[in-house]
Amino acid sequence: MNENKMSVGAFFQKYTMVIALVVVVIFFAIATGGNSLMPGSINNLISQNGYVFVLAAGMLLCILTGGNIDLSVGSVVCFAAAVGCVLMANKVNMWIAVLAMLGIGLAIGIFQGFWIAKVHVPAFIATLSGMYAFRGFSNVVLGGFRVDITNEQFLMLFGGGRDCYIPDFIRQWTGTTGKPNLTCLAIGGIAILVYVLMTVRKISVQKKLNIHQSIPGQIITTALISGVIGFIIWQLASLRGFPTVLIWIALVLGIYQYITTKTAIGRHLYAVGGNEKATALSGVKTRNVYWFAYASIGLMAGLAGILTAARAKGIDPVYGEGYEMDAIASCFIGGASAYGGIGKVSGMIIGAVLMGVINQGMNMVGVDSNLQKVVKGLVLLGAVVFDVMSKRQKR
Amino acid sequence: MEKSVVNQSTIRKADPVSLLKKNAMLIILVLVFIFFTVMTRGRMFNPNSFAALINQNAYVYILGCGMLMCMLTGGNIDLSCGAFVCLLGAMGGMMMVYWGMGTALSIVALLALGVAYGCGLGALIAYVRVPPWIATLAGYLAFRGLGTAILGVSSTNSISFNNNPDFLNIFSGTLFRTPEGELNWPCMIVGIVGAALVVLLIFKNRTTRLKKGYEVDQLGMDVAKCVLGAAAILLVMFKLAMSGGIPTTLVWVGIVVLFYSFITSKTTIGRHFYVVGGNIEAARLSGVNTKRIMFIAYLNMAVLTTIAAMTTMTRFTAANADAGKNFEMDAISACVVGGVSASGGAGTVLGMVIGATLIGVINLGMFQVNLDANYQRVVKGFVLLAAVVFDILSNKKKS
Repeated sequence: MNENKMSVGAFFQKYTMVIALVVVVIFFAIATGGNSLMPGSINNLISQNGYVFVLAAGMLLCILTGGNIDLSVGSVVCFAAAVGCVLMANKVNMWIAVLAMLGIGLAIGIFQGFWIAKVHVPAFIATLSGMYAFRGFSNVVLGGFRVDITNEQFLMLFGGGRDCYIPDFIRQWTGTTGKPNLTCLAIGGIAILVYVLMTVRKISVQKKLNIHQSIPGQIITTALISGVIGFIIWQLASLRGFPTVLIWIALVLGIYQYITTKTAIGRHLYAVGGNEKATALSGVKTRNVYWFAYASIGLMAGLAGILTAARAKGIDPVYGEGYEMDAIASCFIGGASAYGGIGKVSGMIIGAVLMGVINQGMNMVGVDSNLQKVVKGLVLLGAVVFDVMSKRQKR
Repeated sequence: MEKSVVNQSTIRKADPVSLLKKNAMLIILVLVFIFFTVMTRGRMFNPNSFAALINQNAYVYILGCGMLMCMLTGGNIDLSCGAFVCLLGAMGGMMMVYWGMGTALSIVALLALGVAYGCGLGALIAYVRVPPWIATLAGYLAFRGLGTAILGVSSTNSISFNNNPDFLNIFSGTLFRTPEGELNWPCMIVGIVGAALVVLLIFKNRTTRLKKGYEVDQLGMDVAKCVLGAAAILLVMFKLAMSGGIPTTLVWVGIVVLFYSFITSKTTIGRHFYVVGGNIEAARLSGVNTKRIMFIAYLNMAVLTTIAAMTTMTRFTAANADAGKNFEMDAISACVVGGVSASGGAGTVLGMVIGATLIGVINLGMFQVNLDANYQRVVKGFVLLAAVVFDILSNKKKS
């Protein structure tokens, strides 16, 4: 059994994006005089990028199948949200509206997936036509105008308005008031506890199966991640508490992490992206794997539509433009291969956070919004060039 | 003995079904055109519609040629061309209006910019092996931002070229302009020469094939091709002649389209593009410099983008932050509708031209029947999907 020892070079290679993220966070913390680490900034970072995490999770599955992407998500986000908002504006029950939005997303995903999986239409074309068509449909539904959401319950549940935080049950129960938000701290505490227990279990399984991974390394990683979670939770607790949108993000990321690492369909996604023919010959119905990936991103587009509408307290016909690029960029920066078969949810999260931190940091420093786009493009290119170069050295 | 065998050309029988399938897009184009002519009570058939079709879609034809070459190498695309059009427009505006560089010098400088970007992009894709998708996505994100930032020198975020008539005349306007409704003879003569050339080429091709003993179509088929091709050219040129003359953009489009038809069908390098797209490993083992082909594809794309940028700048007589939006999608759609394979190795310039024209006719037709702009997008999306599905299904049965 060989102990996995890592040279300094290999360490940098594996954690490039994590290191880049740390450097960027420190850079902006200094450039903004610590403002970027204040509770308000962290809160905004989460609420502004909710849709990126959700869409990127769906996009990751599509990319895994062989570098396929979904260009239609931006338009689907707008269309689903438009239908939901119009329903709510006509006093339809909020839950029916929510189901409608998710249902529309899923139905579009299944529709596009059908063409891609069964008729072999290139994913690019099938989703490009969706991008045109659903942008048009959402304009039709909205009649070209903005539709507002007045349903307080909806806003609160999906992260919009002033009160979109989990109420502090613990303080209500104990009859105290003030900061920090104890419920938020409790949630954070439980999350860290679960995470630590999972690591302990993983190490014990490794011991039993005689897999030698560096135990100190795993303990340090767990401690660092717990520290980051703890810091974020503390900052959130000292402001208004646990934002509701974070529940949805965590739920989606958790499910996708589970799908990609623990389930058969998850492994099939990687297998199809690695070598579709070999996978088909091993008895996997590869076309259904494609269908699954596109149905899943459709559903995620529906959810992202809900989050976007809630955050903006309404929907405008232009919302969602460019969302597909945000999701794609997050996956690629997070190390997903443009040829499929490689990519992790954890990497995608780092990619999304990195983009979010850069966006927010540039806003706070006051960089012109046009130049922000230039920086975004260069970051994406830099990340991928580095990735390609470092993989080539390995070979 | 051997010689007599070589000299025997087989004659390809034309059965109606395969004929229909082979020319499906062309037939759809004609049907769509007739449909809109009826719907607009003949307005679609006016000389001005023909001129508008060419002026509005010049960039699609030009970018389509470049995109075709990229797609041939294996379904690779360039997402950055639309944003690059915006950046080039901004740079052109700075050069001509703010820095007072001459028109000629500015055009050369813009071409140099295109070549520089093309070399950089090509090197990244061919030699560093960054996936084309991502390499050009970076440009897509960055160039529009940069272009808009540059245009910020003007308070309206737009630079007008109205004081540069030379520049406008090179890429827009009409050659030998005559009043509308009057037959423009230079235009008509070009049309007649063009029609004669088509007939000549088809028959030259036929005799060469007969001499070499290749398979040929029935004589009637070739005659039909001549008649239809010549009639189409004469009709278009006649309509243009009635609208005032040859649009300058048509000259540029014509040069580009003819050049790329020649490259793709008659030259070694053109064949290499198909080979690389068909099987890159086999191509490499047969001694094709596959990396160079990839490099050339993207260099070529950037140069064509520069030409498209100049026609766009002159058409709007200004450089705007919105210029070039969705150009990449239009070019890709034209190729795919025109039968270019999304996985590389198959596709012709003629097909792309038909695809681009079909989309152009649909756009113009929907505009003329006053279809709501939102439904226009819906129709565009579904036409794109339908065209590709049709293409895939008809090819599936063939094999």
